[in-house]
Amino acid sequence: MEKDRITNHYSRRQAIKMSAAAIGFGAFARALPVLAGDVIGNAKIISSGEMVPGSKYKKDGPVRIGFSNGFSGNTWRTECLYSVKMEASRHPEIADFIVVDGQGDIAKQVNDIENLVSQNVDAILCIPNSGSAVAPALRDATRQGIITIPFNLPVDGEAWTAYNGTDPQNKGFQLGKWLRGAIGKAGKIVALGGLPGNSYTAAAWAGAQKAMEGSQIEILAFRDAYWEEDRAKVVMADLIAAYPQVDGVWCDGSQDAAGAMKALLDAKRPLVPVTGDDYNGLLKLYDQHAAAEPKFQIGLLSEPTWESVIALRTALKLLKGEDVPKRQVIQPQLITSQNYKNYVRPELPDGVFIDTDLTSEELKKLFKS
Amino acid sequence: MVQRVGAVWLAVIALYGVSGLISPGMLQLSQAINILQISAFLGIVATGQTLALLVGGIDLSVAGVVTMSNIVSTSVMAGLPQNLWIGVFMSLSLAGMVGVINGVLVTMFRISPLVATLGMNSILFGSALVYTQGAPHGAISPGFDLLGRGHISGLPLSTISWLIIAIAMIWVTRQTVFGRYLYAIGANSTAAYLNGIPIRFTKICAYALSSILAAFCGLLLTSYIGSPSLGIGEQFLLTSVAAAVVGGTSLNGGLGSISGTVGGTIFVTELNSFTNIVRVSSGTQFILQGAVIALSVLLYRSVSTVRHNHSFP
Repeated sequence: MEKDRITNHYSRRQAIKMSAAAIGFGAFARALPVLAGDVIGNAKIISSGEMVPGSKYKKDGPVRIGFSNGFSGNTWRTECLYSVKMEASRHPEIADFIVVDGQGDIAKQVNDIENLVSQNVDAILCIPNSGSAVAPALRDATRQGIITIPFNLPVDGEAWTAYNGTDPQNKGFQLGKWLRGAIGKAGKIVALGGLPGNSYTAAAWAGAQKAMEGSQIEILAFRDAYWEEDRAKVVMADLIAAYPQVDGVWCDGSQDAAGAMKALLDAKRPLVPVTGDDYNGLLKLYDQHAAAEPKFQIGLLSEPTWESVIALRTALKLLKGEDVPKRQVIQPQLITSQNYKNYVRPELPDGVFIDTDLTSEELKKLFKS
Repeated sequence: MVQRVGAVWLAVIALYGVSGLISPGMLQLSQAINILQISAFLGIVATGQTLALLVGGIDLSVAGVVTMSNIVSTSVMAGLPQNLWIGVFMSLSLAGMVGVINGVLVTMFRISPLVATLGMNSILFGSALVYTQGAPHGAISPGFDLLGRGHISGLPLSTISWLIIAIAMIWVTRQTVFGRYLYAIGANSTAAYLNGIPIRFTKICAYALSSILAAFCGLLLTSYIGSPSLGIGEQFLLTSVAAAVVGGTSLNGGLGSISGTVGGTIFVTELNSFTNIVRVSSGTQFILQGAVIALSVLLYRSVSTVRHNHSFP
């Protein structure tokens, strides 16, 4: 419902010129950098009208919280996990904070959730490997009175307590609209997504295609690039060979975007407008090449790594007996060629995601830099 | 053997022709060079994989070794020029140790190669996660990007490295006693043992070489990208086996060749490139890749007149 409201609101806007696109973008996203100070407090979070009553979950005394992480091994998940652990350490009422890792395996994650239930946790936070596969396990846990908070990727149905995350379809739409504006009247684009078959990319790309409707922009190809720079670079090198003209690259993640731009550099082709998220590697690449590449522009929407903190806070509110919204849609940070200098972190590794509640010191410690 | 090896090259040429007809972009010189550059990564891993397959084993730890090499080299180099060679040396020597452990597990502890190396793969990925705490850091030394991105007379340096390695390994497998041992052990290890061939030592060497070559691929990929990534090696787990098998190497050991693997690698890379370029959905891309690989193996089996008995090259 909320998503529809936002989408309809912005589909009325015409944003063909780059600057106009940035304004439209900004209204959707958090327009100014708020990465200093209270990142989460300053963020814009749209709550659904539906509320979940906290009275039935109220619990006095120590609580046990479980977190079923679908997999670990990329830096986004690392920051996300670090943030939620820090947050948990700030709440003395949490007696146990149990983290289990699904290792990218759908069956293992279902088993993990069942194990958390048998360990008598009061709440389960979860980033699903599959929105449909974990739904029955979360439903069973919810029926047993356990608070279930999926976040980052939606879970099918409504048999969970509360959800928070960005809106991938709307993000994809806004990125598509920005790219359309950055390219101008007509042009040809290629698109790179994440892991094959993942629901985030599917939703984002559906949104992007909607944004391209009625334009003279030709979509040459959509390819999976695994959110890995090397895979994206290889795919892009093939696409460059096949298509002499590529005017823009749509990506839902900036590892793909950085790989694609590196392929263009190797092929000695001009860099073009590209979309993505808040991956530091692309920001550093932009900083390095923007001056020499007049057509190179970036239009990025962040995926906050502190979604886990919101999930934990939501669970704790319920355990205190407070009501919480059923859905919380987090508005991403907008990063463009105009404001990227406020975000780029040259002193930190490429893998850092910028939209984080971690301080500079914490990030340096985490990334040993 | 010659016909068996020849079949894969026929497949390479046929696929190139067909893909060129469907997508003329494939026929450009720049794309041919691009395919050769990309092939180098898989080609080097598959060369090592072929050695493991020849002795009747398999090395599924190559994915973990590629990742380890990427993480170790970027972390040690840390963007500093003076650390370049230490980074390279540490990556290769750690890989050598991993290979020796694989070989020892398979030969002395008699653990099935599939289980031992898959377990090692998991240990390596886990170690990379523990070492980096999921937050890899570091960067390549200045100038190291030449290896993965540089060219000599228009030919990518990575391709040249691969061809040198392949030629060296062709020589080793065809012309040296060690090479004869590899085939003999894979064909019939009991007979090889009775003939006094040092089975354990040869197998351990095969696994060590496989690991070292995977680490070299990791260095090339690191140079190609310039930064660390925990997921970088995963793609080689089964494609390295596919490239060797498409090139005529038997999963039962004792049959196959490095030159066949070179052809198999180009075929697999060419196929990936072609499916990247043609306008098909992601799902169709996977179906096409699987079907063409299976079909090619069937085809060259029928073309090949060599009986499927074990034989020396």
